[in-house]
Amino acid sequence: MTRSPRLDSAVAATTYQKEWFARTSAAARAGAPLALANADAPHEILRALDIPYVVNQWWSSIISAKRAGPASLAAVAALGLPDDSRQYDVLPLGAQLLPSDEAPWGGLPEPRFAIAERGGDVTHKIFEQWGRRPGTETFLLSRTGAVPAPEGWWDIVADEWDAVFGAERIDLLRDEIVELTHWLAERTGRGLDLAVLAGILDLANQQAEWNRRTRALLAQARPLPVPVTDVIPAVMVPQWHRGTAWAVQAAERLHDEVAARIDAGDAVHPRERRRLMWIGRGLWSDLDMYRAFQDEFDAVFVWSMYLAIAADGYLRRGPDPLRTLAARFVGLTDLLYVPPMSSSWYAKEALAHGVDGVVHLVADDTPGSALITAALEEQGVPVLELRGSNADPRATGGVRERIASFLRERVPVS
Amino acid sequence: MTAGSGPVIGIVGNDVPRQIVLASGALPFRITGLWEAPGDRAWLDLLGAADPVAATVAEELSDADVDGIVVSNDSEAHLRLFYVLRATGSRVPLHLVDLPRRDSAGSRRFLRHQFTALARFCGGVTGRTPDAQSLHDAAVAEAALGEELERLRARRRAHPPRCSGAQALEATLAAMRVPPPVAADIIRAAGGEDVPARRRVHMTGSDHPDARAYAALEAAGLIVVSEDHGTGDGAWLGVSAAGGSVTETVDRLIDAHFARIPASTTGSGADRARTTRSLAAASGADVAVSLIRDLDESPLWDVVDQRDALAADGIELHVADHVRPGEVVGRVSAMAAELSAGRASR
Repeated sequence: MTRSPRLDSAVAATTYQKEWFARTSAAARAGAPLALANADAPHEILRALDIPYVVNQWWSSIISAKRAGPASLAAVAALGLPDDSRQYDVLPLGAQLLPSDEAPWGGLPEPRFAIAERGGDVTHKIFEQWGRRPGTETFLLSRTGAVPAPEGWWDIVADEWDAVFGAERIDLLRDEIVELTHWLAERTGRGLDLAVLAGILDLANQQAEWNRRTRALLAQARPLPVPVTDVIPAVMVPQWHRGTAWAVQAAERLHDEVAARIDAGDAVHPRERRRLMWIGRGLWSDLDMYRAFQDEFDAVFVWSMYLAIAADGYLRRGPDPLRTLAARFVGLTDLLYVPPMSSSWYAKEALAHGVDGVVHLVADDTPGSALITAALEEQGVPVLELRGSNADPRATGGVRERIASFLRERVPVS
Repeated sequence: MTAGSGPVIGIVGNDVPRQIVLASGALPFRITGLWEAPGDRAWLDLLGAADPVAATVAEELSDADVDGIVVSNDSEAHLRLFYVLRATGSRVPLHLVDLPRRDSAGSRRFLRHQFTALARFCGGVTGRTPDAQSLHDAAVAEAALGEELERLRARRRAHPPRCSGAQALEATLAAMRVPPPVAADIIRAAGGEDVPARRRVHMTGSDHPDARAYAALEAAGLIVVSEDHGTGDGAWLGVSAAGGSVTETVDRLIDAHFARIPASTTGSGADRARTTRSLAAASGADVAVSLIRDLDESPLWDVVDQRDALAADGIELHVADHVRPGEVVGRVSAMAAELSAGRASR
């Protein structure tokens, strides 16, 4: 049967996030410290110090979904800075310059701290700009190269993370996390309690375990029981609250709801005959796109990286909370983008989910995309590569037409 | 290249201390690619949206007779190149050098691991692991090269200059591919005659893998007297560290790393602007030029700060950005025509 209402867990997550943002904004405007953190920064330290944080990329997705992307990029350009460089990372900087009535959700209060790892050539410069804003200070962590880079990491990364990422890389990040902790303590007077941090890590692991079970259910389910556009917020909003009891409950709720829908025989599209995988960041400015190929092509997007990396990428167990936390973040992005870690993982996921075709959005800051495509094609899975930033509508025009052609020409019905 | 001259290690990027490579008995052979070539389509596809010069570096590596390759994590393009070489199967041993930017106890410990691993890698290629004596000998040779480079910089800073920018850059690039004594001879031979008075240019922006852009500027009546990019005065060339033991030498090399000119890809905009202003002032530049390749994004983020910093000394910054392969001579020539019309103030 087809059930049209959205997943309760997705609705609950987005509702919670709006309320949380309103609460957090009010507190920040009243003087409480707020952090802006990149997705790969060790958020758990902020949680342990009771410093609320907004994730840069999540805020970008809101800006993009609320159609404030072009105005934000124009504001960046008005500063003399490039508007065609790392748009997804820079949107919040531009949105900060918009009048509050033009910014999503009334705008982001000025963060007290801006924290990022030095990814690529530009992230540190974007966060340098944040540090020049009145009242905001920047802290940058190192981003080391992915050495070693084993295939099959998903089976061992939770416990054998030294072997996956290299002990020296983890030690460096651990030391820098300690520095960050001291830096924050100097500014807030709040010291780190390692027992509190260990408890947060434990909750984060519980959340990851639920995400693993949910991913396993969806990989096996035929037809797809829940829309990917609901799974994404139901996973990602709790991800940004990782380490809280609410986030664990939200992950469990998603799992139970997916299981119930499978038991009930629900289908997003009962005539499902083509199963598609979307590799890359979400196309937030056009979420309807993910449902646009169902009626004409019986094609359903069954996979996004958000649940899959939440299932495989975050789980870390270890006796030293600081080092374990470093092991969570030292190579998180590498798992998604660096071959052969990324390419072997996407191929594994494609086979597990029985996809018939892949749409691969290749952003400007993602290395190894051609090798990901090649790994999938070697498995007999056709791939359409789209190049451009998910945050810049100028780069993704004509996407639907290209996907339609791809389906007609290269993706036979299963 | 290797016949009769010992092992050769191809170097990509600007974060490799040559002294360690030399101390292993190998020749560090810097590979920089080309400004103008479009790059092989297959490499461009593999590298994605990276500085297109990286594709020409990959082509050059494919043809180079090297016994090992060391790639720096000094830019996204080079890191991608390392990943692609690793994933596609390098025909010779491959190694990544990864140097953090923030000076801290943790970074220094990581750097010690990095330099030790580099020495081990080079030793694996040559059969000779660097020791205190070989590091000392390499330091002496590299220091002599460093002194010649300082003299070259003085010739460029003279009024009038006694070496053109293109000559200096060509000599510097050549010096990155030969043993230190030969390199010192090349640097010593660069220039030496007065160059007619012209508007003096400080170069910033993208690295220059060859001297085509400099030649085009100078053909239009300007002269490049200094630069802050990683294939010219910013190169890790002629930089050495003396120590009584391997540990002490490595620690001094770590000091040298943190003292180097900040690259656009790794330095902050503020640091870059201070460096650009300082070097332009030291060379008596009349004007500064930033040439920025398409997909080499970080220099774009430096422009506002550099322009403001240089303005404090009355130096205008002229920018040509998003320069695509095949465009550099035309873009530079058009800019030069405008700049040549200005007044030489010093």
